[in-house]
Amino acid sequence: MTDYHLVIDGATAEESWTYLDDDAALSDAPSIISLTRLKDEADALAERSAPFGVILRADGLGKTDLGEDVRELAPFIDRLALIAIHFPAYRNGRGYSAARVLREEFNFTGQLRATGDVLYDQWAMMNRCGINAFELAANIDLATFQTALGELSGAYQPAADQNRGALWARGK
Amino acid sequence: MYRYDEFDHKLVADRVNQFRGQVERRVSGALSEDQFKPLRLMNGVYLQLHAYMLRVAIPYGTLRSEQMQMLAHIARKYDRGYGHFTTRQNIQYNWPALDKIPDLLDELACVEMHAIQTSGNCIRNVTSDQYAGAIEGEAEDPRIVSEIIRQWSTFHPEFTYLPRKFKIAVTAHKNDRAAIKLHDIGIVVKQNDAGEIGYEVHVGGGQGRTPFVAKKMNDFVPKAKLLAYLEAVMRVYNMLGRRDNSYKARIKILVHETGEEEMRRMVEEEFAKIDASEMLTVPQTEIDRISAYFAPPAFETLPADSQAFTQAQADDADFARFVRANVVAHKQDGYAIVNISLKPIGGVPGDATDAQMDVIADLAERFSHDEVRVTHEQNLVLPHVKLDDVKTVYDALAAHDLATANLGLISDQIACPGLDYCNLANARSIPLAQEISERFSDLDRQYDIGELKIKISGCINACGHHHVGHIGILGVDKKGTEFYQISLGGAADENAAIGQITGRAFTEEDIVDAIETVVTTYTDLRADGERFIDTYNRLGMAPFKERLYD
Ligand code: HEM
Ligand code: SF4
Repeated sequence: MTDYHLVIDGATAEESWTYLDDDAALSDAPSIISLTRLKDEADALAERSAPFGVILRADGLGKTDLGEDVRELAPFIDRLALIAIHFPAYRNGRGYSAARVLREEFNFTGQLRATGDVLYDQWAMMNRCGINAFELAANIDLATFQTALGELSGAYQPAADQNRGALWARGK
Repeated sequence: MYRYDEFDHKLVADRVNQFRGQVERRVSGALSEDQFKPLRLMNGVYLQLHAYMLRVAIPYGTLRSEQMQMLAHIARKYDRGYGHFTTRQNIQYNWPALDKIPDLLDELACVEMHAIQTSGNCIRNVTSDQYAGAIEGEAEDPRIVSEIIRQWSTFHPEFTYLPRKFKIAVTAHKNDRAAIKLHDIGIVVKQNDAGEIGYEVHVGGGQGRTPFVAKKMNDFVPKAKLLAYLEAVMRVYNMLGRRDNSYKARIKILVHETGEEEMRRMVEEEFAKIDASEMLTVPQTEIDRISAYFAPPAFETLPADSQAFTQAQADDADFARFVRANVVAHKQDGYAIVNISLKPIGGVPGDATDAQMDVIADLAERFSHDEVRVTHEQNLVLPHVKLDDVKTVYDALAAHDLATANLGLISDQIACPGLDYCNLANARSIPLAQEISERFSDLDRQYDIGELKIKISGCINACGHHHVGHIGILGVDKKGTEFYQISLGGAADENAAIGQITGRAFTEEDIVDAIETVVTTYTDLRADGERFIDTYNRLGMAPFKERLYD
């Protein structure tokens, strides 16, 4: 059991992934590992058939550290089934850029997940940046999530979603 | 002027409803104050010393008269009968009740106004030259690209939780009235030798406790590429800007710590990636649609001179003074740009009452093609007045204490709210500005002194732009008493510079005398035709220091 309510592509979903500590043994279940481990054990991981994902961490890295660099994932993109972006505080918006780089520059098509301090007023923005999986507080129901996503009926600018933005749409 | 289409209207209405929900969740306790804070900030709601404050955006400083009327109405209905025009083309209301703010925002939305992104760590209200479209010599009306930037930056999903606030200013004239080099991004609209419009982009300016003049990142970004270029700057900043210390979080610190060259390299690299998709190239039809809103108003064909205007100056010395200080040449023959000073002698810089706003709205409608402008120096402008009408306009302004003839003179000061409103202040700013204004109240003396910009901040956050005052005054705290430090030689125009501190700070009793000493040092030492800033730049700090401290 997890302590969050997982929503994927706008629907409640069962958690099928496990976050693995760096010293825990790899199992045959789908596992989310750290970037460090991904880099260290890339070859061994490639041999395995179980899908694996990575978490891009934003804290616990030293006070002035910004968080891990999304572009370090470049060599591994094709092998990753999931990337979780850690938001250490809802007001830390660095992960939004990471999400867009993954979707638009690396054309990542797997699950892109927001974990950490992920609150009501950020979901719609995250969604527009290409995040399609959300770890919500357990007491949040799907209807609330959908309301939040629909609060703004449009957008001015393109991002990682289908919405081209009014500046472009009006011109068509 | 830009008019909302259905889409713009709907989005602003959605935003008000969204904020109404957020206020309800705050009131019910579903949101903690800590969780509510960034949300209210993104809607212009600050918590001040005494109450909530609301900051309403005046994008690129342009208002229609019905909008000015609405600002007056809001001052009457939700505040104590006045509003405060700020240094970033916003208006602030100091006393609205939180639970009434959604209603207030609904009313604003009726005239296509909002408080979106006037605070918070997002891209703030875009500012521009108050003389846009009225002054001779612009490459293009800077409001066209400002409106495009406004739309692109509104609810930008990637840049709503930046390391720190982010301010963009635009000018299209060789004389910079928008202080673009003191912004996170400053843009100069210009024409290249081939006659194409493009943008010179400056990055990393700012004030606060570590002031910097922006560095020129790119000399000419082609018109079609601007949003891709801006998105590149923003992404580099969002990924690499510091989040561990809010005083080191502005892009100016990133540029400074990374170095200009390296910053440029990173921006160019990001730009190449973003631009590859051409996703951010705005369609020409949309640029044309927006440009059409800023087409010149229907000016009449008039002679360059007006007999009535000349005669009125000969007949009325006060009017002649007003013309000399506050009236600026218009690009269209027979028209003038009329500045309205919000710095009456002894008044609060930037404040206007509801009645004054109504008068200005009415004058704009009758005499200025329905337009009012707001300046970063906290004044207002009627941009398109026929020379024949200037005297009528002046008389109406004078009847409401709006005809102070001091534009650009020593009593036309910028002052932050200071200790009277602000919980971060070390010292009072407004009362000091009032004292200085009283001391130099004699207009003839002010003309003799000439152009001189005094800017006052109550603490190092520099909301009052003291770093870039020809004379800057900064409130400092010494064991609980108010002291003021003076700096000289700052400038916020095309020759932007950060002022130098003269030395030891002055007490509340001594500060006005010290300012007088600085001024007389200048008048004693100036060469023919030199402004204060020219004399300072020629002679440096030494003579001023000597007179102040010896
Ligand atoms: C309660 C009242 C206010 C508070 C607490 C406040 C707080 C601050 C703080 C903390 C900063 C420094 C931010 C930074 O650079 O990191 C700042 C900067 C600034 N504020 Fe305010 N402020 C207040 C009112 C105002 C008002 C009324 C104005 C406009 C008249 C204003 C305009 C500015 C400007 C122009 C800057 C400098 C931005 C730059 O670095 O370029 N502030 N303010
Ligand atoms: S400069 Fe300081 S005192 Fe003045 S408004 Fe800003 S934070 Fe307050």
